[in-house]
Amino acid sequence: MNEDAYGFDGLPIDPVRRGTSILVAGPSHAGTRELAYRMLAGDADEGVIILTTNTTAADVAAECETVGIEVSSDRMGIVDCLDADSSGVPARVLTVSSAQDLTGIGMRYSKLYSDFHSEGVDSIRTGLFSISTVLSLTELRTVSRFVHTLVGRVSKVGGLGVFLVDPAMHDERELRTISQFCDGRVDVRESHDGPELRSRGFLGGSSSWLSFEPLAAADR
Amino acid sequence: MNVLCVDPSADERLETSAALDAAGFDTTACGSLDAARDVLATGAVAGVITEYDLPDGTGLELVERARERHPDVTGVLFTDAGFEEVDSDSFSGTVVEYVDKGAPGARDELVDLLSFGIDNRSQTSYPLPDDEDRRLNAVEAYVDDADALHDSLDRLTRIARALFDVDAATVGFIEAHHERFLACRGTDVDRLDREETICTHTILDEGPTVITDTREDPRFSSSEAIEAAGIRFYAGAPIRTPDGDAIGVFCLFGDEPRSFPERDRTLLSLLADEVMTGLDLRRRLREATEGADDE
Repeated sequence: MNEDAYGFDGLPIDPVRRGTSILVAGPSHAGTRELAYRMLAGDADEGVIILTTNTTAADVAAECETVGIEVSSDRMGIVDCLDADSSGVPARVLTVSSAQDLTGIGMRYSKLYSDFHSEGVDSIRTGLFSISTVLSLTELRTVSRFVHTLVGRVSKVGGLGVFLVDPAMHDERELRTISQFCDGRVDVRESHDGPELRSRGFLGGSSSWLSFEPLAAADR
Repeated sequence: MNVLCVDPSADERLETSAALDAAGFDTTACGSLDAARDVLATGAVAGVITEYDLPDGTGLELVERARERHPDVTGVLFTDAGFEEVDSDSFSGTVVEYVDKGAPGARDELVDLLSFGIDNRSQTSYPLPDDEDRRLNAVEAYVDDADALHDSLDRLTRIARALFDVDAATVGFIEAHHERFLACRGTDVDRLDREETICTHTILDEGPTVITDTREDPRFSSSEAIEAAGIRFYAGAPIRTPDGDAIGVFCLFGDEPRSFPERDRTLLSLLADEVMTGLDLRRRLREATEGADDE
């Protein structure tokens, strides 16, 4: 694999160049959330930062472990908008009082990124889980500025951004605006044979629906 | 590039300004919100670097104020205040970059982030076309003499207003931070912040954009500017160069919601194409004339 790219083990998504941000859109019952987590699972020397709007840091850590991301303070940061007790979570956890505080989330994200970077972690995957929560609390224009700033930071430092959204919760025009900030989009749907994904917008991505195995099935 | 650096500590201010000047920025420095407000009132500023705790307010308040005048401004909080001291909740939608002043190499990081933010305009609240730099060059290349263009564009907007029976028709070109209107019928506007215009979104789509009712569109329903202008219906067709760059928009609007059938969309696109043909001819003529003058 090209060392200048982020790959996705076990998923039918081609590696993407450094600095890419991807919108992952699909219903939660089709395993979209699990897919987004799996997209954050990279090589052992990569870092992971997750901005969580609707799940506690402890649950995020548990979900990471499930998809094979090692949760450690050397490599993992979480910005937790639920302000729940995160003692015992072996990651760097910074809290904000609400998912409405986009300024606070952004500042903490910058801090985590900058700290990891200065410690020599050059490749960092970022997850925003989820844009849907943010959009349900804040008007589109403000969310747009927030997403644009995050995408910019990811692009500047050669990271990878994975932004989760449930299209059923939003007007199609709203979703299109958000996707216009990203470099590509992965749609997820449930078919008779299990979940399928379709990647659009980045080089080499297939535009047809491809099935992927949920982890539980893959483990069997 | 003009940037504003605000820090109540004279020593820190001096050091930060020196780092910014060394990076090629044209830096104006001051120590309070009030003084910063005066600077913002005098001219365009591309970036604001600020401490959090100011004697008469906060850095977040300052960035908020700066964006009221210059919506695309890149804001960076350069502070030694801890997160617990920063009341981001009251400015939850401001969104800034953040650099911890006490971190090693903090000023280098600041310069780096600021340069990136300004060059890429990565804090705008609207998406940019993929090849924005090339598009802006095309705007400059084709729209060189507003006065000379006015008469022909004015005739087209007059025809459009009658043809579609709308309140207003305009031809506007999308520059880096503004839409500049070179022809207006039924309205009188010179330029608008890009953040406030629907045309900003129109140039991202291949074909015409039609909004039958702005109040029903989540992208514009909360826009005070669109509400104040009384725009309920909008239709705009991108004016696209032969290379495919959308440099402007031929647009129509009205104060009542309405439909806009396929035939009308086609006609509107033809008008946008007509504008482009005129611009292209003028450009060729100009180049030929300049070539002849050089001989």
